Amino acid sequence: MEGKAEGKVIVITSGKGGVGKTTATASIGAALALDGNRVAVVDMDIGLRNLDVVMGLENRIVFNVVDAVKGRCKLKQAAIRDRRIKNLYLIPASQSDNKDVLSPDEMVQFGEKMRKEFDYILMDSPAGIEQGFENSVASADEALVVCMPEVSSVRDADRVIGLLYARSITPKLVVNRIIPEMVERGDMLSHEDMVEVLSIELIGLVQVDDHVIISTNTGVPLVLQKGSKAGDAFRRIAMRINGRKDIPIEVPQTEGRFWKKIGSKFGLGK
Amino acid sequence: MFDNFFRKVLGKPDSKDVAKKRLKFALIYDKLEVSDDVLTCLHRDMVEVISRYFEIDKDAFKMDIHHSEDLSALVVNTPIIKAKRKKYPAV
Repeated sequence: MEGKAEGKVIVITSGKGGVGKTTATASIGAALALDGNRVAVVDMDIGLRNLDVVMGLENRIVFNVVDAVKGRCKLKQAAIRDRRIKNLYLIPASQSDNKDVLSPDEMVQFGEKMRKEFDYILMDSPAGIEQGFENSVASADEALVVCMPEVSSVRDADRVIGLLYARSITPKLVVNRIIPEMVERGDMLSHEDMVEVLSIELIGLVQVDDHVIISTNTGVPLVLQKGSKAGDAFRRIAMRINGRKDIPIEVPQTEGRFWKKIGSKFGLGK
Repeated sequence: MFDNFFRKVLGKPDSKDVAKKRLKFALIYDKLEVSDDVLTCLHRDMVEVISRYFEIDKDAFKMDIHHSEDLSALVVNTPIIKAKRKKYPAV
């Protein structure tokens, strides 16, 4: 993009697996593109790729991130264009390589090339804190840590936050899969608890939502699903990343909260 | 719903508060974790220093790091067999 400012590389990480990094990457990437940015989402989980199926682009893969980084193809050849959302591109992971096929140095160079082509480059980091994580973080300007309100996820997030700080990156927290009913009855860590334990800035709260699985079943982006609370939450996160600091962080609420409140006034329920 | 009600009446803490407390300790512990090498060297040096003044049972020498509310303590326990009777060099 000639004449335009360089893009930003944002790594999405968590330490623990299965907390929703890939869903977050796909959704925030799609939302940033809907807001008019040129976006590339990069699957860094070499050997265990999944961002492609989540985005419904799995049958269009020709080249992958290893090809692009090693210069075996042009950036444009590895970037699969999403036909539903303008300006959204996926660079898939390689499924056959070993994860130490790439090095942090190569990733720094790759990041420099990507920043010239895109406004936002989202790196979907693999679980763990080994080579794959190192590679995902190498070229990052910013970081999002995805964490569930649950002890093992919080502990691993703390570890990852420490590693990011060591690289002079100040990460922001996405709390994912909140179950408002459990938070309300005191059986799930609230976002305040998590912010206190992790001492980190919050960027968004995402509640548990059936639409996430439905969206991955069909490969239709979550942010295009009408009435998806998780999709809406990811759209607001994208807007905040895009500089809209005025967008408030909405706290997920239980359904029928009004009646419960009335009930509790009369000593019913909790 | 009623489980919850009785729990509150009985004054049991919310499970999330238990989680929060456990997490805080786990994170402190994780950060204070000392590597085995460090502990092994410290162990060796302490045995050596104490041995200058006392005859001790080296095999029964125990060293541990204890964590409590808001501090960590290095706890050393060793049986003394006898004091050594010799002149110590002036400091």
